[in-house]
Amino acid sequence: MPETLTIDAIQQWLNRFASEITTQADWLTELDSAIGDADHGTNMVRGTAAVVAKLDDGSTSTVQELLKAVGMTLVSTVGGASGSLYGTFFLEMGRNSPSSVQLDASELEKALRAGVNGVIARGHAAVGDKTMIDALEPAVTVLSRSLADGRQLHGSIAAAAAAATTGRDSTEPLVARKGRASYLGERSAGHIDPGAASATILVAALAASVGEGIAR
Amino acid sequence: MIGIVLVSHSEALANAAMELALQMVHGTQPPIRIAAGAAGGFGTDATAIASAIDDLATTDGVLVITDLGSAILSASLALEIRASTHQVVISDGPFVEATTAAVVGAAAGSSLADITAEASNALSAKTPQTVTAPHASVGNDTAPGSPAASAEERLINPMGLHARPASLLVQTAGEFSADVELTNTTAGRGPVNASSVIGLLSLAASRNDRIRIDASGPDASQAVNAVKQLVLQGFGELS
Repeated sequence: MPETLTIDAIQQWLNRFASEITTQADWLTELDSAIGDADHGTNMVRGTAAVVAKLDDGSTSTVQELLKAVGMTLVSTVGGASGSLYGTFFLEMGRNSPSSVQLDASELEKALRAGVNGVIARGHAAVGDKTMIDALEPAVTVLSRSLADGRQLHGSIAAAAAAATTGRDSTEPLVARKGRASYLGERSAGHIDPGAASATILVAALAASVGEGIAR
Repeated sequence: MIGIVLVSHSEALANAAMELALQMVHGTQPPIRIAAGAAGGFGTDATAIASAIDDLATTDGVLVITDLGSAILSASLALEIRASTHQVVISDGPFVEATTAAVVGAAAGSSLADITAEASNALSAKTPQTVTAPHASVGNDTAPGSPAASAEERLINPMGLHARPASLLVQTAGEFSADVELTNTTAGRGPVNASSVIGLLSLAASRNDRIRIDASGPDASQAVNAVKQLVLQGFGELS
């Protein structure tokens, strides 16, 4: 019997993402104050709170609808590059998800890969540019490899979260090549990228929710 | 007429850029929408940009002009989530200059392709020495044997060919089907096409510089004459 992630587990993932963002908002803003406009924590708190409210209204009944609604909510509430990029992530995930009430491991992998590819296409960023891609790309790569090696979804997502954390930390010495931080040039080095930090929270929240929410 | 959407992190910035550009329009103003700010602060919002584009669905096409990087990102997402299907182009031109070029071009009835090229080349007005002026060679496309006319006059208005006279000249030349080119023979700059306010500014023509007007096409002599009158009247700037 294949492992599947139910729509309830996905909702739990996003609720967890929102609460972790709230807990770490000051840190995210602090990171953003070093190389940006010091609003990443505030913006993500506002956006993820709107996502929680949207999910609570119960207007979505399939994984596809849910993820698309999450994307549109983030686009219209986060503001700026983060809103467009996180919005694109979930819109692309939704577009590449089935109209059903659950995702099996390969469907989840496909949707996450599509989401990350969407962010890459939207922002024209690559690994090493000091962006959220530095966390997301290795996470999805590790997830695919782990699943291909026959590991279970739970363990694979946990490995993906660890890869995201490593990727996030790798942004510290980098010079930003995308976004407003790139105007700082060499002065952007020495700070973790706030987008990579919030993206790591996203993957970690998924790992935690998968652990609790797998239907067998 | 082409519509314009201004995407800025700051509503004040977008409004000021729009007002500045509209100073150069002396007739019907093109439809302009502003999508600026996000969640009550600085930022850009793809849903607001999509609404602005949808709001201009009855135009002949829309040019989206953006300020800082993430504005382009939000604009490209807006193209995916908009409800309308008319032609939309995201400009890579600099915000203030591209807005000016697009507003003048749209008011003169230019096509979306021409306005896009104008806006994209808008930075060239700041680097007149190195510029390859937009549309500089358009005249070569004219069919052989079509009527041609020329004139050369001295600029007499105190400020020379600055933004306002340049935009007046674009609108005047735009009334004719002939292809009109201007050359600053004193400074050796040009020729540039008279459909391009940015091209005209790149002539860096000051008072007393001599300007050659070349036109080719069915109404070439009328076009040369109309432009010549503008120059002789100092673009209405003589007190």
